[in-house]
Amino acid sequence: MPKELQSPMDSANPAQDVQGIWGMTIDQDLCTGCQACVAACSMENNVPFVGEVDAGYGRSMQWIRIERFWQGSYPNIKATPYQPVMCQNCHNAPCEPVCPVFASVHSASEDLNLQVYNRCVGTRYCANNCPYQARVFNWRDYMDPRQRPELVTLSNHWNPDVTVRRRGIMEKCTFCIQRIRHAEDTAASENRDIRDGEVVPACAQACPASAITFGRINDPATKVSQAADTSRGSHLLEELGTIPHVTYLAGGA
Amino acid sequence: MIKKFFNMLNQPLGRIGVFIVALVVLSGVVWGIAQAQKPPEQPIQFPHNLHVRLGIQCLYCHPGALRGPSPGIPTETKCWGCHRQIAIQGTELPKLAAYVKNNQPIDWVPVAQVPDFVHFVHRPHIAAGLNCEDCHGDVSNMTVYQNPQVINMGWCLNCHRAKTENNPQNNPTSDPAVAAKLEALRVKLTDCSTCHY
Repeated sequence: MPKELQSPMDSANPAQDVQGIWGMTIDQDLCTGCQACVAACSMENNVPFVGEVDAGYGRSMQWIRIERFWQGSYPNIKATPYQPVMCQNCHNAPCEPVCPVFASVHSASEDLNLQVYNRCVGTRYCANNCPYQARVFNWRDYMDPRQRPELVTLSNHWNPDVTVRRRGIMEKCTFCIQRIRHAEDTAASENRDIRDGEVVPACAQACPASAITFGRINDPATKVSQAADTSRGSHLLEELGTIPHVTYLAGGA
Repeated sequence: MIKKFFNMLNQPLGRIGVFIVALVVLSGVVWGIAQAQKPPEQPIQFPHNLHVRLGIQCLYCHPGALRGPSPGIPTETKCWGCHRQIAIQGTELPKLAAYVKNNQPIDWVPVAQVPDFVHFVHRPHIAAGLNCEDCHGDVSNMTVYQNPQVINMGWCLNCHRAKTENNPQNNPTSDPAVAAKLEALRVKLTDCSTCHY
């Protein structure tokens, strides 16, 4: 991957030297499209199951989805590799400048995109401006059993480490920031730095093919930065200059 | 019609009526505000002061504060661990004995709380060297626990800023390395994602 496409360190921001920049690689040659990451993500992050009717309106909620395309015309169809797509946590994020209430903000210390649920008023500008369609909107109070009795079966698994979102709030993949915080707290109380591979997001943990690697991409010693720094790496919609923190690996060595 | 109504209000009796209505509304507001400031009703009037003076550590009853996000509020079995050997007397201990006898949980009302969209974790605060009383006040002088201050974001941020300021207290030797570390910590501790996710 060319150097200019890698996430730049902000020289005016000393915190990034200390905290590091979190990033991910997804090996499309290993991905089998089994959707285990999708299920694990929904369970970990309290992503609600919207039901048949709302899914019909295109209101399905997933923070990560498996994309697949077909090349050529029938019968000479060639399937492209499976492509799990989640929020790419762009360095130049198109979602951020359009938010009127600063609910979609950039983390100065870790170069992550943040969604501040208590600020969000649900204008959905960010989702309309996201080139990866990674943001999903709560069209109803899906967690309220009084409003959606048919969906109550999945309401008993809420993760206490993640906010349960209300109606009218935009949400997206956070790189499992609750797990990052947990690892940071553990490292801080043991007076050491976070080890490579200590933070494992739910999707990476669930992936049976180990196609997803997570870690600090500004540290050349980590597995994730070594995997990303090869000719196999590419970014989604590189030409937009969003500088995503997720690198897709495909093709030869 | 509306003119007639205002004419009516201009009569002496009407003015008294307006005054009474205004008084009722005002006293309702005052009562509501006063209610919101009161600590909630607890099932047992637990005397924190007595227990602290006996030398019991905060972490004995609230052990989660050391390692987890939530300190926890003790169950009736934890109370009974000591109180089974102590005479059941006074007004509050028979209530505890009744809870234990009926095998019922004590429905304590948590007081020091943050909203659902805030993720407060005790562990990093204790790792940073804070003591319980820095946020929870002098519990040795309280019976039922009350928050010593309003717990809101301004209060959190004030402390996060004060602890990372490059001043003689945080950086006594004016070391530039410490100053850079403090600055990095300040960026981190005032980040939205530190608490909101």
